[in-house]
Amino acid sequence: MSLPPQAGLPQAFFLEAADGGQRFCLYHAPRGDRPLGRVLYLHPFAEELNCTRRVVAAQARALAKAGYAVLQIDLLGCGDSSGDFADATWDAWLADALAAHRWLAARAGGPIWLWGLRAGALLATQLASRLLPSPAEGVREGAGEGGGEPVHLLLWQPVASGQQLLQQFLRLHSASQWLGASPGDAPAPAQALAQGQTVHIAGYALSPTLAQGLGLARLTPPAPPAVTSRLVWLELSSAQPPTLGASADRAVAAWRAAGWQVQAQAVAGPAFWQTVDGGDAPALIDATLAALTPAAAPMP
Amino acid sequence: MNIREQALEITGASRGAGGDPASAMLGILSMPAAGMEVQRTAIVIVVGGAQYRVGSHRQFVQLARRLAGAGHPVLRFDLPGMGDSPGASVPFEQTAPHIGAAIDATVRASGAHRIVLWGLCDGASASLLYLQARRDARVAGLVLLNPWVRSEAGLARTRVKHYYRQRLLEPAFWRKLWAGGVGLKALRDLGRNLRSMRRKRPQSLSFQELMALAWQGFEGKTLLILSTRDVTAQEFAECLASDAPWRQAAQRPTVTRHDLQGADHTCSQPASQQEVEALTLRWLATLTR
Repeated sequence: MSLPPQAGLPQAFFLEAADGGQRFCLYHAPRGDRPLGRVLYLHPFAEELNCTRRVVAAQARALAKAGYAVLQIDLLGCGDSSGDFADATWDAWLADALAAHRWLAARAGGPIWLWGLRAGALLATQLASRLLPSPAEGVREGAGEGGGEPVHLLLWQPVASGQQLLQQFLRLHSASQWLGASPGDAPAPAQALAQGQTVHIAGYALSPTLAQGLGLARLTPPAPPAVTSRLVWLELSSAQPPTLGASADRAVAAWRAAGWQVQAQAVAGPAFWQTVDGGDAPALIDATLAALTPAAAPMP
Repeated sequence: MNIREQALEITGASRGAGGDPASAMLGILSMPAAGMEVQRTAIVIVVGGAQYRVGSHRQFVQLARRLAGAGHPVLRFDLPGMGDSPGASVPFEQTAPHIGAAIDATVRASGAHRIVLWGLCDGASASLLYLQARRDARVAGLVLLNPWVRSEAGLARTRVKHYYRQRLLEPAFWRKLWAGGVGLKALRDLGRNLRSMRRKRPQSLSFQELMALAWQGFEGKTLLILSTRDVTAQEFAECLASDAPWRQAAQRPTVTRHDLQGADHTCSQPASQQEVEALTLRWLATLTR
């Protein structure tokens, strides 16, 4: 008699990195023989990774159950990967994302989705730029590191820009000063970073190199893709009915103008990336499944 | 790196007669690098406070790597419904089967003979409650960082003692009160706190009483670390000062207490984090002697 299948854990492993370190990965094998697609997840910045781990795990399980192959990677200095946060740079993170994409591309088939949450959306956008063939090269050349395949984006609550996220993060330093946890006579973190010093904020050591790379990251749509690419943009909202923010409307218009096929939507749910017990987001998980899964074929 | 790490699938934490096949947990075991001598004492980190196995600002990753670098196997794991582990989440008062399964997995994978449970916040509370539930002879030591003993009465006592007393000594408070700047709400809060302080205890044993019983009955060594800038730690210190069972348990020679100056609840300052790691290592050396 066989036991009922474990409501399973994903396959956990360490991916060897070019720098000699290792990156912690989770692979959720798709249910069924032919995957509906491949999904590479890129996590948000610093403590937001911790706060969002549960909701992301639930989404990854739901996607795998629906037939998607899902890979999560912890970037250099994050989660269970090697290195300290102080060692991380934006370029190293992009290299990690590329390596994870290569692993996933070799492992499963189907359309590629890059799924980014908050700052992960910035990284996913830059990875898409690297993977997509540029219009000049065209599909004919099979250029771009993605081998000419379409690349789709699933962005959850994308941050408007790396600069804005960085400012929010640095503000945590002021908050800890009010609470008396940091020495009051230390230079302001932005100033210290400008002088090439690493700053300690909310338990994270942020290097000037990472701050610079993050600060330059934008949600700029990659040049009009020569192959049709989809963007699914999902935000959480406490408004009734849920509504997209004004900055999301502007951003989404820019992606449409750049030739992307865009679906943007706000769903009801808490800002779960802000606190460690930030709650669940079932509406987000349902909306994601609905947006990715192609509509059932019409009855003949 | 002078360590190696591997993922562990932790099973066997059955709940109820039929067991619960959904309660597989994900753990990361940190071991000293190949060729290094492996200590017989392993540390199982019991994560608390809705965190997952890496901890706030990766404090448990850093701790595990530091201890593994010194020769100790260290396990960090996600309770069901937390982090990457599936299933319904389990209240900290009911995590004994899961801590037991984590210890089993650590012993199997590392060959360790003795276990130290290392817990922060309600992870420290869960560690004591595990001992109360299981009396597990493999557990030779406890590291309790800012243990969670919150009760309405205890919190009220701490607030009155540490917050209001401090406020009453501040000239600004009196100036504000004089000018009508102290809200009616603040005064009502003080009144409510004073009332809850005097409320009588319920008859059945609370989780705090079970913790105290477990600690009294524990024959191994304990390292108790309390952050000076943390309400949770203040409440625990208040417990030690005012409740006889706690005081007696804490005064035994097997207990080492260290107050961590200037540290917050999760020791987010690098100096505090390093001090916690160094204290743990020094204490581990006395344990294995």
